[in-house]
Amino acid sequence: MSFTCESLIPFAPEIILVIAALSIMIIGLFMETSSKKLLGYFSVVALLSSTAIIIAKGVYEVELTGLLAGSLSIDPMSQFFKLTFLLVSLLVVIASIKEFEEHSNQDEYYTLILLGTIGMMLVASAVDIVTMFIGFELASLSTYVLAGFNKNEPKNIEAAIKYFIIGAVSSTLLLFGLSYMYGLSGGLTNIDELANFFSMNTELLISPMGIMALVMMTAGFGFKMALVPFHMWAPDVYQGSPSVISALLAAGSKKMAFVAAFRVLLVAIIAMKVEIGILFAILAVVTMTLGNVVAVGQKSIKRMLAYSSVAQAGYIAMVFVVVTPEALTGGILYVMSHAFMKAGAFITVGAVCYVLLKQNSKAQDVDHIDNFAGLGKRSPFLAFSILVFLFALAGIPFTAGFVSKFILFLAVLKEGYLYLVVIAILNSALSLYYYARVVKYMYVLPPASDEKMSVPTPYVIAIVLAMFGVLAIGIVPEPFVNWATSAAEVLFY
Amino acid sequence: MQSIYLSLILFLPLIGAALTFFIKPREIARVVALVFSVIPLFITAMLFSRFNSDLGFLQFQFAENYTWISSLGINYSLGVDSVSMPLILLNAILCPLTIIYSWGEHKDANQYFALLMILQAGVFGVFMSLDFFLFYIFWELTLIPLYFLISIWGGPNKDYAAIKFFIYTHVASLVMLLGIFALYFSTNVNTFYIPDLLRAFAGIDDVMKVAIFLAIFFGFMVKMPTVPFHTWLPDAHVEAPTAGSVLLAGVLLKMGGYGLFRVLLPMIQDMGTYQGQIITIMAFFGVLSILYGTFAALAQTDLKKMVAYSSVSHMGFVMLGAAAFNVISVSGAMFQQFSHGLITAVLFMSVGVIQHNVHTRIISELGGLTKKMPKLSFIMMGGFMASLGLPLMCGFVAEFLVLTGSYLTLPVYAILAFLGIVATAGYHLWALQRAMFGSFNEKLGDIKDTVSYEWIPMGILVLLIIYFGFNPAPVSDIFQAASSVIPGVMQI
Repeated sequence: MSFTCESLIPFAPEIILVIAALSIMIIGLFMETSSKKLLGYFSVVALLSSTAIIIAKGVYEVELTGLLAGSLSIDPMSQFFKLTFLLVSLLVVIASIKEFEEHSNQDEYYTLILLGTIGMMLVASAVDIVTMFIGFELASLSTYVLAGFNKNEPKNIEAAIKYFIIGAVSSTLLLFGLSYMYGLSGGLTNIDELANFFSMNTELLISPMGIMALVMMTAGFGFKMALVPFHMWAPDVYQGSPSVISALLAAGSKKMAFVAAFRVLLVAIIAMKVEIGILFAILAVVTMTLGNVVAVGQKSIKRMLAYSSVAQAGYIAMVFVVVTPEALTGGILYVMSHAFMKAGAFITVGAVCYVLLKQNSKAQDVDHIDNFAGLGKRSPFLAFSILVFLFALAGIPFTAGFVSKFILFLAVLKEGYLYLVVIAILNSALSLYYYARVVKYMYVLPPASDEKMSVPTPYVIAIVLAMFGVLAIGIVPEPFVNWATSAAEVLFY
Repeated sequence: MQSIYLSLILFLPLIGAALTFFIKPREIARVVALVFSVIPLFITAMLFSRFNSDLGFLQFQFAENYTWISSLGINYSLGVDSVSMPLILLNAILCPLTIIYSWGEHKDANQYFALLMILQAGVFGVFMSLDFFLFYIFWELTLIPLYFLISIWGGPNKDYAAIKFFIYTHVASLVMLLGIFALYFSTNVNTFYIPDLLRAFAGIDDVMKVAIFLAIFFGFMVKMPTVPFHTWLPDAHVEAPTAGSVLLAGVLLKMGGYGLFRVLLPMIQDMGTYQGQIITIMAFFGVLSILYGTFAALAQTDLKKMVAYSSVSHMGFVMLGAAAFNVISVSGAMFQQFSHGLITAVLFMSVGVIQHNVHTRIISELGGLTKKMPKLSFIMMGGFMASLGLPLMCGFVAEFLVLTGSYLTLPVYAILAFLGIVATAGYHLWALQRAMFGSFNEKLGDIKDTVSYEWIPMGILVLLIIYFGFNPAPVSDIFQAASSVIPGVMQI
């Protein structure tokens, strides 16, 4: 297949971002720090136009396969996740405009975010394991740097190093697993071909080599998805990184692992025709339970959100147990809902921390729960936003969290996994406890100081957008459900 | 053209809540809140007058139906029938009265009124929803405002009470949700529309039926609440501000009873061989609640806690009446819901006044309050007499019907429940005697009597109680019609 310029046209959204990322890097060299804020606006424009192109191309029934030598395809699944990633990056970039306005390396910051987004979008589209891995690495490498972006903060550096080492190891494991698949199949890299091959040669998958490959892949994806016992990095990294980057990590790059796992692992599970659901059931149950139980004791809000994120990954991991289109629909919808809820929560917490640091630049541990006492009095807007995001995470009606939990649990129960749903529901109730505690701090306890908090506009815009997403999915779920359904059907034709 | 009245009733309080929330001065906020809760009362009264109680089971009036999530068969469907109409009226009556009663609230009054109105909307939603998804949403929605009412305006132990209330009832709702899921899958009708699910219920296998029934029953039992799942209630009541208690006991508990009539009773005739056991379970828990609630109330030293336990025992009559499963007892149980809503509101309001003016609710520290608070004492007497079941007040009508009805089918349980009634009279009179009569406890100092915005709503309630005691027909006829069309219910 020859390479022509026409073959790139379907990838206009990615290409726009590449051009934007590179030009920001170059232009940034010649700009004063004070005016670098413009680069943030430029990134917003790039992300918006990329989003617009994706929406214009259609998200329900678009089907372009075999692009670029069969390595990429555009289908409802990829469109769904690409939009999720773009929107998360958009929220993050908007919120960052204020947070990093005095930072001298802003140009690199925006470049990295855009590159990371491109990596995630590549993963969403990839139907070839090599392309997928490249996308993975592009996104990971960018986020490693972003996690340590405040390089004078020891906590940031610690988070970044930890994230880098664990990330590198997990990438290796993943690559190791993928290479075994490649070897076993005699040189196939396309996921569809691999699936066909293995469904005809199931014995290869349950041979020691095949099992090794699956275990390695599960571990590799497990690290990225932060499933227990591969989750240790997540709380440290989410707590240590700048809040907006935590939002990007939890809502963006973690979700990238989910789409990749849906495409590779789920297809492998379908092809295997062997009952390994119980393994994933254990993984899912342990993940959600440990995440929630540990979250109860956290004093740092960001760390609590990190553990809640681990728990939520546990819910989504039920999809690997119940391999049905309905469950995948629920899982996919959950991914998008969680992206909005978590990004919103982290950004709002980031805004609180930002304002607290502005008021007292020597403050330590600004995300400690004590600092949120009386937030309802000091900043009704921020308190209300956190309330909405937390209640959404807990699955209270009229929010995205409720709808996606409802659909996911419904699908799991449909296949008769009563015990899974009961455990998930108990977990959900437990999670309400620590979310409600934050709410109590914000609205019931007296304020730590009487100083009002004024929230910078960029934060307000990002928070309002995220809240809009959460409530839109919660109140008008129909289009999102249909969309997730058509995305899920890609893997089950 | 679909009717829009129900949506209006449902959304006006929500709009009012949003407006109230942003109006800082409490003088304006409370007026807005009152206006937006009085309009639904007028609409409800109009619907009530146009209501046709002759229609059969699952025949809904003023219905609205819009597709919401078509792939799962979820619709926005509202409608009322004879089971729900009087309860909607009850909610519409109680909310404005509660708002008037809270006229003097000083602490963040705008938020306080906004939360009361969200609560009102949530309860309306539960009583109107014909789709389980919607039903569940409103069911859960009621938790949030009450959680805040308790945890912000509550008493000394509010943190514990609020979180206990929230988690306990949330877990129960989740169990109910499991039951709903199971019902959805086993019926295979691919809809959450309650009437369709109920019609399809007969077709599923018996063990599954029992499992579904028990899961949903658990959700309702906790809400009602039924002993031994009542422990959240006394805590929540004692710590909640008066308005929160009034709405909690007045309408929120009724949601559990309403669910019983709407969802579970129509299922009973399809239970096959398990019908007997199910009825025994219900009757057992009903009588247990009556007796336990009564004797626990007898032992209380805190007046408000006593009233809370009296709620437990009165809601036991609802369960017993439902279990007896004949026209008289079921309509009595429904009427008990309505009358208890009115009566308990008076009780909690009176206790609220005592708490507010005397600064204690411990019965032994009170005494002789009639001398200092004649107006309150007069109204409170009315409430207490109604609560102990004095004839010609509406509590008597309800409990009489329940006992008569259940004596016909469950004589043993009815006799046990009757013992409870005796003790009920006991603790009410004893509490009145210690707290209100006798010589005035001089240590209490100078005490003011109740103010107009407090005694007016209480007076209105007492008048309603007496009116429905003399002339229960407007409401009881509707309930009679409702209970006689529930499939399988014994006609007597």
